[in-house]
Amino acid sequence: MNIRKWIGGALAAATMVAGATAARAEGGTLVMLVQPEPPSLASYLSTSGPIGLMAPKIYEGLLDYDSDLQAVPSLAKSYDVSDDGKTVTFNLQKGVKWHDGEPFTSEDVKFTVLELLSKIHPRGPNSFREVESIDIPDAHTAIFNLKNPAPYMLRALSGYESPIVPKHLLEGEDYRSADLVNNPVGTGPFKFVEWKKGQYIRLDKNEDYWKEGLPKLDRIVGRFIPDASTRTAAMENGEVHYGAYGAIPNIDAVRLREMDSIGVTTDGYGMINPMSLIEFDTTEPPFDDARVRKAVSLAIDRQFLIDNIWFGYGKPATSALSSNFGATGLHDAKAANYPADQNVEAAKKLLKEAGAEDISITLDLIPYGEDWRRAGEYMKQALGDIGIKVDLRYEDVPTWLKRIYADYDFDMNVNYFYQLPDPVLGVHRHYGTDQIRQGTHFVNSSRYSNPKLDALLVKGAQEPDAKKRAAIYSDVQKILGADKPVANLFEMNFLTVFDSSLKDHDTSALGAYGSFDQAYFDK
Amino acid sequence: MSFWRLFKRNRSAVLGLVILLLIVFMAATAHLFFPEDPFRLVGKSMSPPGENGFLLGSDSLGRDVASGIAHGAKTSLLIGLMATFVAVGFGTIMGGLAGYYGGRIDDLLMRVTEMFQTIPSFIFAILLVAIMKPSIESIVIAIAVVSWPAVARLVRGEFLSLKTREFVQACHTLGMSDIRIIMGEILPNCLSPIIVIGSLMVATAILIESGLAFLGLGDPNIMSWGFQIGAGRTLLRSAWWVCTFPGIAILITVLAINLVGEGLNDALNPRLRERT
Repeated sequence: MNIRKWIGGALAAATMVAGATAARAEGGTLVMLVQPEPPSLASYLSTSGPIGLMAPKIYEGLLDYDSDLQAVPSLAKSYDVSDDGKTVTFNLQKGVKWHDGEPFTSEDVKFTVLELLSKIHPRGPNSFREVESIDIPDAHTAIFNLKNPAPYMLRALSGYESPIVPKHLLEGEDYRSADLVNNPVGTGPFKFVEWKKGQYIRLDKNEDYWKEGLPKLDRIVGRFIPDASTRTAAMENGEVHYGAYGAIPNIDAVRLREMDSIGVTTDGYGMINPMSLIEFDTTEPPFDDARVRKAVSLAIDRQFLIDNIWFGYGKPATSALSSNFGATGLHDAKAANYPADQNVEAAKKLLKEAGAEDISITLDLIPYGEDWRRAGEYMKQALGDIGIKVDLRYEDVPTWLKRIYADYDFDMNVNYFYQLPDPVLGVHRHYGTDQIRQGTHFVNSSRYSNPKLDALLVKGAQEPDAKKRAAIYSDVQKILGADKPVANLFEMNFLTVFDSSLKDHDTSALGAYGSFDQAYFDK
Repeated sequence: MSFWRLFKRNRSAVLGLVILLLIVFMAATAHLFFPEDPFRLVGKSMSPPGENGFLLGSDSLGRDVASGIAHGAKTSLLIGLMATFVAVGFGTIMGGLAGYYGGRIDDLLMRVTEMFQTIPSFIFAILLVAIMKPSIESIVIAIAVVSWPAVARLVRGEFLSLKTREFVQACHTLGMSDIRIIMGEILPNCLSPIIVIGSLMVATAILIESGLAFLGLGDPNIMSWGFQIGAGRTLLRSAWWVCTFPGIAILITVLAINLVGEGLNDALNPRLRERT
């Protein structure tokens, strides 16, 4: 009996839907996995992952980023930054139309940034914190007036992070319940057509797209398949062509990798920079002592975690910043005071100095799946070796979030954060004193507070000169390496698994969160 | 020794008993044969059975599957016995009181019992463990809470029929107290069905515990068979041994307990004594 065939057959029967399995003619239909089903398609309200997979095909940002993370034109043809860094002028594309036929103008940009992104977007208030006002001298120019230079802002203007939405459909509406939330109208290469709850979202080619000759695909279907092994089976027999952000588990990806018809890549996550880490409660013993935190960091064999749990996908952390920041010169390899190898003797010595031998602690685990449990089981053993007795705690998501970010009722917590394309956007929230925000998720739960570091973070955010900025972040990394309020474990590599006949789906640094305007099937 | 004579007439029950004793032996000597913590990473990960010194292979982190099974036996049996003990104890008290006193007390207690019986037991157990934090105590409590109503109904039935018998009436006439009648007269006479249902309940409890651990609701600090299967499930296509052997262990244990339970039923239940 061939179980796989059987599952495949059942799937095929279940997918006689909207031509989802259509033959790959010129153009063709791309079926991508969207996991889980998104709560809405309002990417201006939420940064939830599944929204990020679909919405950037519909909405565009002012800029896009190529695979080297360099800005390329999108809705803005070009931009100028004044010498003092306080005025940024965007020259917008002409002749761009919303999917409903209305023209796109600088009014839309002003409205989106001032009314939506800097107010109700989860990360926007941080990205656009320095924006004082926006002048629109004509329909195709938007001038951002800043209180202080904000070089990081120019890295947060993609269609995923800062989508530009139509003013004429939102003005005067309740932004959170407007029709646009589930019925998006953008300027992007694909138009929203249909959302069958529990099954799929269908987007069709925007015939009037402003980029000549694009998009190449006729249609994108985002399918929701809750069970991981069914997703793998669907990928294996060609029902779906694309799955990113762990939609296909690593264990299956390493098996599918061997098939000619399937490709696996870790590209396309450069703007996301996921980093796994341990947060410590630095206000109470034993982790109020930096030596104990360092001992923990030394006791863990990062490569073991990567090899045995994430199947070789990942890179041990070398400092508080991801090595992907090397491209902008911010990652300082010399400040890399993270252990390359596990060093049990050194860890024991540190614990002895701190007088923290024979301690018992509870390790909380991010409840996002089996991998994290395995990691916890490994750490329990590794910390046992240096004399720290560990109890593991694995709870449901709301209880865990409340425990770590509202009640602060924990000793150490395994987690992962997106460091995003700039430290101001993704790293500062971990360490700044102003980021001790009780009740807000994924900020400074360690409650680490260091005035010297705070001053450096402010300087780093405002310094326009790349060299000076690198020097500031080098100091930041030295301080954080010595204090380790958070011990980074490894730079995670999410996997994108795709049909190998699908080309140019990875032209944007945003990968799966990109617009897919150039993607096509080569067959 | 008539009980043993009756019991051994059922060959499969004897076989079950032998297997069960072997499993108990395995659990009791786990720390002798596998002195290391079963969570300890002792070698190359995902080694097939027989390689790199692993009798039954190793899992994704390099933990010994055989050691896990030996130590897991202790967990499974312990949870099975403790949960059954609590469930039988509580169920007997509830059923006994309802059956002996009848009337309003009976109504009240039986409505409560029915309320518990209407909730699907496994779902209820999941809910209870999820509310309390997953630990060995919360799992025992959850299994006991979903298991006691069956005992209560059985005991109530037995009490209802026994309390009208002449020897009980005689006790009443002699002026014996209720508690003495219940404990000294009625309860010993309905012990055999309680023992039988209890023995079968151990098997169910082991299954529920495995199911909970499989779903990730086990105590993360304690090795159990369900945990091993849950952790090995994703590896099924690349390392079949990680969840196959603990699965077989559960199968054999539950089968053995059921055979023994069946044998006890035959030996203790006079009405079925002549069954072949």
